[in-house]
Amino acid sequence: MIASAIFLLALLGVPLFAIIGLCALLSFYNADINAAAIFIELYRVASNPTLIAIPLFTFAGFILAHGKTPERLAHLSQSLLGGIPGGIPLTILLACAFFTALTGASGVTIIALGGLLYPLLIKEKYGENFSLGLITSSGSLGLLFPPSLPLILYGLVAQVSIDKLFIAGIVPGLVMIFIVASYAILRGKKIGALSTKPEFSDVPNALRKAAWEIPLPLIVLVGIYSGFFTVTEAASVTVVYVILIESLIYKDLSITKDIPVLMRDSIILVGSILIILGTAMGFTSYLIDEQIPMTLLETMRQYIDDPLTFLIALNIFLLLVGCMMDIFSAIIVVVPLIIPIAKSFDINMVHLGIIFLTNLEIGYSTPPIGINLFIAGTRFGKPVLALYKAVLPFLGLRLVGLLLITYVPALSLFLVDWISN
Amino acid sequence: MELIRYLYSLDRTLEKIEWCLIVCLLSMMIILSFGQMVSRNLFHYALIWGDTFLRQLVLWTGFLGASLAVRQNKHISIDVFSNFLSPKLKNKVFTYTCIATAIISGFLAWAAWSFVQFEKESESILFLELPVWLFQLILPYSFLTIAFRFLLHSTRSKTKETIQNNL
Repeated sequence: MIASAIFLLALLGVPLFAIIGLCALLSFYNADINAAAIFIELYRVASNPTLIAIPLFTFAGFILAHGKTPERLAHLSQSLLGGIPGGIPLTILLACAFFTALTGASGVTIIALGGLLYPLLIKEKYGENFSLGLITSSGSLGLLFPPSLPLILYGLVAQVSIDKLFIAGIVPGLVMIFIVASYAILRGKKIGALSTKPEFSDVPNALRKAAWEIPLPLIVLVGIYSGFFTVTEAASVTVVYVILIESLIYKDLSITKDIPVLMRDSIILVGSILIILGTAMGFTSYLIDEQIPMTLLETMRQYIDDPLTFLIALNIFLLLVGCMMDIFSAIIVVVPLIIPIAKSFDINMVHLGIIFLTNLEIGYSTPPIGINLFIAGTRFGKPVLALYKAVLPFLGLRLVGLLLITYVPALSLFLVDWISN
Repeated sequence: MELIRYLYSLDRTLEKIEWCLIVCLLSMMIILSFGQMVSRNLFHYALIWGDTFLRQLVLWTGFLGASLAVRQNKHISIDVFSNFLSPKLKNKVFTYTCIATAIISGFLAWAAWSFVQFEKESESILFLELPVWLFQLILPYSFLTIAFRFLLHSTRSKTKETIQNNL
């Protein structure tokens, strides 16, 4: 009774922090635990040195999204790839992946880049369906690349090394891009006629314009893996670098006018995640103390006894979660409960993280309620039903990628093993 | 009506103060963390309490942000139905969900307050003689202003598009 009432409140749009807070308050009241215990776990998470990477990377992402970085990136990849079949879709895939990795929230990618790139696709006669589907589903493609926020959050919640997660996501992320890109190139060959000519003469110009932004992922990656700085230090270098280039070199943003607004807006995003972390961590650790995951596990054991079947069940479950919840809350709420079960099936925690994120990023554009469908619908003024149809082929392709990533752990782990040796 | 108008203006004043605090604290966070990195790598020296303080700054800015998020409708919710509802019904549902959220946040504020009380009794020190509970005050403050803002919010109509809710 109570459970279904709470569920209804959630569906009607009561914010998740309040829903989880309500669950925690009620069950602590029943178990005679002081409600103050809700916040104890928050302070355990808050003692993790990597916590500060979250606001810093988020802020850096906001600065990049609001300067003219999307334009410069689109220009550069277009000049590099414009002349080849499937070139424009490839441009979109790469630019979106790069951008989502830096900004972490894929809705922003659709708004910032989608509007720039959609007209190009239409001009090249890729058709409305293909174009909408491509942009809607590329919005979440970059989540597996460092320094994406969901990767950091998973590391914090699951207590897994974030350095390892950063490397583990690279190959699976490329696999996803490769699969979608092959489809796009085939499609491009079928259309044949290209309205844009190759513009290689434009490459030096485009490169020069984006010269300050291209090295960013390298600074983060090389800095961390050469051992020169930690993830946290990389975050603070990124912020300082991004502020300097956007306000002093490119002069896209004014320090006194734009930066305070971006500070507020990025911290609002961080706050909306942090408050869920605040109310959920105490509750999930209570559930674990009450052996809820273990009870679940015993029930599961009756039907599932090998890791492979467990992973299939996990995939289906996470796809459902992914289209109901946004990626941040899903990580905070679901990960602590799944971990004890996954451990009993000997799943590697780094690999589990990659499976989680791949699943959830697909959930973003899964009908009927994947959130990117609504964002794209509003952005391009199309009915949501048109988007359902448009994303279907892409969904199929990404499910293939998901299966590969889930059942071939080596894709996520061989680089990690190779580097740590 | 007079009271509501007064509460609205109180809300706006608080918003300005919080925004200002966020800008100051985040700038401090950036400068301190960058400074720590530079001095650690160049001079092999860093403030011992620096990292602890930085993490407290994250909590402070974050919970201030959570409180501001109400005004901009940016709290993360599942929000499945509202995409299919008529505007009139949408507004009605919005009013009730706001009131429900305000009540829950009120209880959470009380839970956070008792959390601070416990910490106060244990008299633990974070660094430089500063007690832990002082830093935890942000929790009850944040939940209290969230409750207040959702209550005010229930008197408004839902104007923002879904799209802005989810960025």
